[in-house]
Amino acid sequence: MALKQVSSNKCFEGFQKVFEHDSAELKCKMKFGIYLPPKAETGKCPVLYWLSGLTCTEQNFITKAGFQQAAAEHGLIVVAPDTSPRGCNVEGEDESWDFGTGAGFYVNATEDPWKTNYRMYSYIKDELPKLINANFPTDSERMSIFGHSMGGHGALILALKNPGKYKSVSAFAPICNPIQCQWGKKAFGGYLGPDTSKWEAYDATQLVKAYSGPRLDILIDQGKDDQFLSAGQLLPDNFIAACTEQKIPVVFRLQQGYDHSYFFIATFINDHIKHHAKYLNA
Amino acid sequence: MSSRSGSTREYETSSQSRGHSASPPVPESSETESEGLIFYHMDLYGSKERFDIFPEELSGREDRSLGDTRRESVLSSEKVQCSQEIGYDMEKEVAELAKMYGLDEDKEKELELLGGRVEMESRWPPARTKKAGSQGSTYNASKSSTSVKDQSQSTKQQGLPGEASQDEDQSKTRADDEVESNRWSREGLRSGGMSDEWNSQAVSEEQEEEEEEEVANVFCSTCKIPIRAFDKLFGEHKDHEVTQLPNALESEKEEIHKNIFLQAAVTMVDRLEEFLKQEVNLELSTLPDFEERVIDFSEVEQLMNSINAIPAPCAPVINPQAPNAATGTSLRVCWGLFSDDTVEGYQLCYKPVSNERHGDERAEHTLKVRETYCTITNLLPNTQYEFWVSALNASGISPPSERAVYVTAPSPPIIKSKKIRSCENAALVCWESGDINPVDSYTVELYKLTDEPNDDTVTESIVGIPNCEVLIHLQPTQRYHICVRAQNLGGSSERSEPVLIHTTGTCFYLNEDTAHPLLAILDDGFTISCDELENPECDLPVYDNSFTRCIAILGSLIPFPGKHYWEVEVEEDTEYRTGVAFENTPRHGHLGANNSSWCMRHIITPSRHKYEFLHSGMTPDIRITIPPTRIGILLDYENCRLSFFNADIAQHLYTFNSRFQHYVHPCFALETPGILRIRTGITTPPWTALL
Repeated sequence: MALKQVSSNKCFEGFQKVFEHDSAELKCKMKFGIYLPPKAETGKCPVLYWLSGLTCTEQNFITKAGFQQAAAEHGLIVVAPDTSPRGCNVEGEDESWDFGTGAGFYVNATEDPWKTNYRMYSYIKDELPKLINANFPTDSERMSIFGHSMGGHGALILALKNPGKYKSVSAFAPICNPIQCQWGKKAFGGYLGPDTSKWEAYDATQLVKAYSGPRLDILIDQGKDDQFLSAGQLLPDNFIAACTEQKIPVVFRLQQGYDHSYFFIATFINDHIKHHAKYLNA
Repeated sequence: MSSRSGSTREYETSSQSRGHSASPPVPESSETESEGLIFYHMDLYGSKERFDIFPEELSGREDRSLGDTRRESVLSSEKVQCSQEIGYDMEKEVAELAKMYGLDEDKEKELELLGGRVEMESRWPPARTKKAGSQGSTYNASKSSTSVKDQSQSTKQQGLPGEASQDEDQSKTRADDEVESNRWSREGLRSGGMSDEWNSQAVSEEQEEEEEEEVANVFCSTCKIPIRAFDKLFGEHKDHEVTQLPNALESEKEEIHKNIFLQAAVTMVDRLEEFLKQEVNLELSTLPDFEERVIDFSEVEQLMNSINAIPAPCAPVINPQAPNAATGTSLRVCWGLFSDDTVEGYQLCYKPVSNERHGDERAEHTLKVRETYCTITNLLPNTQYEFWVSALNASGISPPSERAVYVTAPSPPIIKSKKIRSCENAALVCWESGDINPVDSYTVELYKLTDEPNDDTVTESIVGIPNCEVLIHLQPTQRYHICVRAQNLGGSSERSEPVLIHTTGTCFYLNEDTAHPLLAILDDGFTISCDELENPECDLPVYDNSFTRCIAILGSLIPFPGKHYWEVEVEEDTEYRTGVAFENTPRHGHLGANNSSWCMRHIITPSRHKYEFLHSGMTPDIRITIPPTRIGILLDYENCRLSFFNADIAQHLYTFNSRFQHYVHPCFALETPGILRIRTGITTPPWTALL
């Protein structure tokens, strides 16, 4: 598959690059950001996948989060894909910011007109890692995943649905229980149809209840002043309760005064990088 | 035997500087003794020369028989020499006598003279004779009286052997008469010499007589004198037993008895009388004057009965404590004798040094010892003892030596094994002295244990430790034995019982005196329990240092830089607080409620487990889905962090980022009845590393 480098900037002695490629899953051109640490010049590095939230592109994380220093220090390749297919001209994709463009919800849509392009789950699970491993000095056995908001939801469900694939998982203000919140109901209804039983397969809280696999170690940071928290969109308590019941190790940190923005992400990104590095470099 | 050490300096000096005429260095205390005792003045034998008690040549050997044969041989040569002296002028005689009496430094001459020149005392003033037996017989100490004209014999100071003055006088008056001088040596004074002296003296007398006549060649056993064979046939000895002289000499040698002396003295006086009454063809500057009268020897006899014909010895000199002379319970004490005194043994006395003015008399011990050293056992360690020693012989006891203080080595210290703190790189060991009295310093010995058995070599020693604790730098993941010895002037104690230190991880113990009254420490020293919560501010006895509200306890200080890891085991339903605190954290406060403590707190609400990470009363809002039962705590002084983990699943829970201005103590508290177990000595797990 041909990769086209869109940009490259030296950063903390590594390189923050953006590439574009033709996605078979999504049937369109897709961009992704990739940070290559200094260590990647001389050896293979583990890969940490970041999934962004609603309205984001591949740019937000690589420009706002400030993760490159920690990534360089710990020798991790960080890949940040886009949040949905672009330029597919699916009808209605731009109608709202929380459904369609920039709101892929990391599912494989089954409903028309979405099912052709909106296959972000498979893209993240299969196509992208294959592409990255083929084109960059990666240690393909060592992969971890994390994300923010909708991306947090995506990270959790990918880890829970693929036991053993990811060494570690963490999230910033994830949508923990989408079938219970407004965003989830809207998105799942649109992508997956009205049958809510089909939604459970993409709900972290639900997935936890049925999880069996290698022990996870989940770190979640949540801004206490996050408007969406108070709006009931995120519902971390449900997830925590389910994890407590299922004895899934979670450390959930409610961070006083922080909101849903990248300023919050930037504050705690190092803790997350270290959390993943502990497992990826072990 | 006795050794010449520094303490004899005074004696040697005196004899060297003043020859044999100055006051001999007899200890003061002996004067009274010596007066009544033992120094016969030589007048009885006619010999006035007195040698120093401590001539340089002769050490205090007790073998007097050595002199005998020598004297014999010398005597014969002396005879010849003496006979030649007759007729010399006075001056030469004086000089000769001076030499003979050892007034110069000629030791050989002294020896030679000691060998038994018998001096005939031509003048025997009755006064002196009488005084011989009295205590008042003394010799004139002054050497200056070289003028020979003075015939009067004043009483001689008894304690002044080696004085030649009077002797000189007398001898010089007899210069023409001088044939042989019979030097009554000190050896003669002691046992064994007497009869020989007498023999040689008698022989020489005989010689003297027989300048003109024959040499005495037989010995009259009846009269106990040598006589001429002629006398046997025709003289008074006609009916007496005679033996050959050599034989007689031998037999006489066996009879060392004061009665012999007495008899000899009596006989000699008689002979002298006889001799002097004879017409002799001698040139005398003055006529000898022998007043014939009965000489009362009863006093002499009495005197002799009271002693053994030898003087009591001089005081020995006790040595200062030598290195390695002490153990914790014994001392080896040495002393020396710096005189020629005959000594049969020593009496060693000692007692512990005490501060009381009137020492405990019962504490004084006395031993009889034959050698010049003794090892005293059953002593107390780290204790000073005073020793003093006296010399003994048949005549009595010498004055005591000066007192020397010896100190026993200390007892081995006792390491407080339950109070050892260590980490991978260091250990803090403390101990207590095995003695009540202070010691000078301590030495710590390290033995790094290897896999080889019996590898017991000290790998490191730390000396000169003034206090009862030491910080030792060690290597990680090693095993060490550590011992302590105490040091004092007596030496080193035995080593203490060793303690074993594994440098696998940080070790500390619990400070019992900080425990809240309701907190109990179980026997293993690392488990705390609380049975009831009633009256947490009750009237139970409280130490100054203990918590009063928070049912808490502090561990010992962790005084080593770097990282330290330990674990706390709890039950799921135990409510607790655990973390670290400064020493000065308020005992009336709660752990984490102030800025001098940091802790993780677990409480149970009706709905869930709740976890807090408290410092200055504040905590982040943290949910933990799995309640840890084994909490790993990582204290990182270097990176200013205190981290908590669920050690069972290697899950990081929370990290305080805080600069610790001081070293901290681990702290533990219970908030419900339950137990909390502490584990130390654990190697820091790798999954704590990446923070």
